Amino acid sequence: MATPRTEASDPSSAAPVLSVRDVNKTYRSRRGDTVANRSVDLTVRPGEIVALLGPNGAGKTTLLRQIAGQLLPTSGRIEVGGVDMVRHPLRAKELLSVIPQECEPKLSLTVEEHVRFFALLKGVPTKGIHEYTDRLLERTGLTPYRSTLVRELSGGLRRRVLIAVALASPTMQLLLLDEPTTGVDPEARRSVWQLIDGLRAQRIGILLTTHYIEEADYLADRVAIVNGGRIIAEGTVDEIRDHLPYRGRVEVRGLDHLSPEGRQRLDALQLRYPVGFRAGNVERLRVPDPFAPEIARELARLAEAGVVASVGPVSLEDAYLALVDGKLEGAA
Amino acid sequence: MSGVVTAVRQLAISVRMSFVETTRELGFVLGFTIIFPIGILFFLNHLVAPDLRTQVLVGTVMMETALLNINVLAQAIGSDKQTRLFDLWVSLPVSPVVYALSVAVVLLPFTLISAAVTLGVAVAFFGVAVSTSTLVFLVAGFALVWASTMGIGYLIGVFGGTPRQINSNAQLVGVILTFFAPVFYPVSVLPAPLRAVAYAWPLTWGTQFLVGILQGAASTTLWSALVLVGFVILWLAIIGIGPRWRQV
Repeated sequence: MATPRTEASDPSSAAPVLSVRDVNKTYRSRRGDTVANRSVDLTVRPGEIVALLGPNGAGKTTLLRQIAGQLLPTSGRIEVGGVDMVRHPLRAKELLSVIPQECEPKLSLTVEEHVRFFALLKGVPTKGIHEYTDRLLERTGLTPYRSTLVRELSGGLRRRVLIAVALASPTMQLLLLDEPTTGVDPEARRSVWQLIDGLRAQRIGILLTTHYIEEADYLADRVAIVNGGRIIAEGTVDEIRDHLPYRGRVEVRGLDHLSPEGRQRLDALQLRYPVGFRAGNVERLRVPDPFAPEIARELARLAEAGVVASVGPVSLEDAYLALVDGKLEGAA
Repeated sequence: MSGVVTAVRQLAISVRMSFVETTRELGFVLGFTIIFPIGILFFLNHLVAPDLRTQVLVGTVMMETALLNINVLAQAIGSDKQTRLFDLWVSLPVSPVVYALSVAVVLLPFTLISAAVTLGVAVAFFGVAVSTSTLVFLVAGFALVWASTMGIGYLIGVFGGTPRQINSNAQLVGVILTFFAPVFYPVSVLPAPLRAVAYAWPLTWGTQFLVGILQGAASTTLWSALVLVGFVILWLAIIGIGPRWRQV
């Protein structure tokens, strides 16, 4: 997590900026019904970042599109800042901003024009709009590009333009980000993360979807794991990790060039600790306590035999894979 | 701010945004709206009898005001869908009418310039008589014809799938409308059943309206204008309901 929570910024006591209650979405067609979301409950509070994590087709984007007012739920209730999105969409939309998945800004407008026009559209008064735009460009690090046409910007900077457009609202309480860093290089991804993380201080609630576990781990106060249209687990990263019945993992690399002695020691270790993951040259063993003295001794023995191994606590990725594979019961 | 005042403000802002964007792609727009129709005008004037030249002029103007409007509006929505800006618009606190008008209105000045140039060429080279007093009615008429077809382009855009499908659909509808809503020939040449179909389209009424202005036929002009206004109200109502704006 990027910013440690303090008592003053603890969002748990504030009224939610997003409340999703028993939302279901079924697409009906001649070929039959497709259930995209089922019985989804979710809240986001001011200053809180919640990540929806799940495989392709899990129903993350469908859920986000319903919250954004782009798609009507089949049943259930969605409230943004206490306003019902289905019954009063215009009022609810005044309270949220969205960056749709793979959205491209207008190529023939400059960065400054984007922010200014969309700010005006979302109700920022005409008087003082240039100062407002300047502040927003400064906050998003876009001041050096203010007169640049979007078509001349890199993918990362275009993402920043969309974030600036999303922030250009006098009434926003909720920000929805659908895969905000997909297709963005690692360096630009970090800078987008820092920008999103900085929004906590303004008490904006953020709901983001992502495929990147690292992104959820870095940004999110809470993670909701979505699979088959349902939220199968929800909680802080630590709470999600607690779903696993083991606390650590030993990771062994270079399986294809183990010495006979190294192979023997690894086989002995596998008799005591189950293999949780194996791909290519890497194998992970599940261990109950990564800090137990016996684990340190086992690692030393492996090292003597020339085996490259490391030990650490279980990650969000371990818990995610176990939950999505259906090997664990979730606790949404 | 009341809802109407907010909507008008949003419309003014979004039209300005679209206009800034369009002026940066001016070469394409001018080429499409002026050079192409004038070419058609020259071509057809060599084929038709002199007494049908007013009809050919109106047909060419209809291509610029109505058919081009349908095509460009549908394609603009297709482009917004491809870049996902359409989703962004849907999530803004704006009515679909504001979005549709902002995409459509930006083309109106180019349409009017294009129609005016076509008119000037027809007067200068083909002996079509246009009195100064009818000019004002003609310009207003161009705008009315333009507005009466807006909904067709919008519906093709929002119901179409990919930009390619939207483009194909717009072309197909354009071809159908050119022949079944007669713009280059009088509706009277159609067999009776097709005449009934033709009157279902605003282009037929738009053609009659403009021919009526040019030929000084007051009752035809007035009746056609009323029907066109009806079409404008119908489209605004349909767009306002928001088909495919918030998807089911």
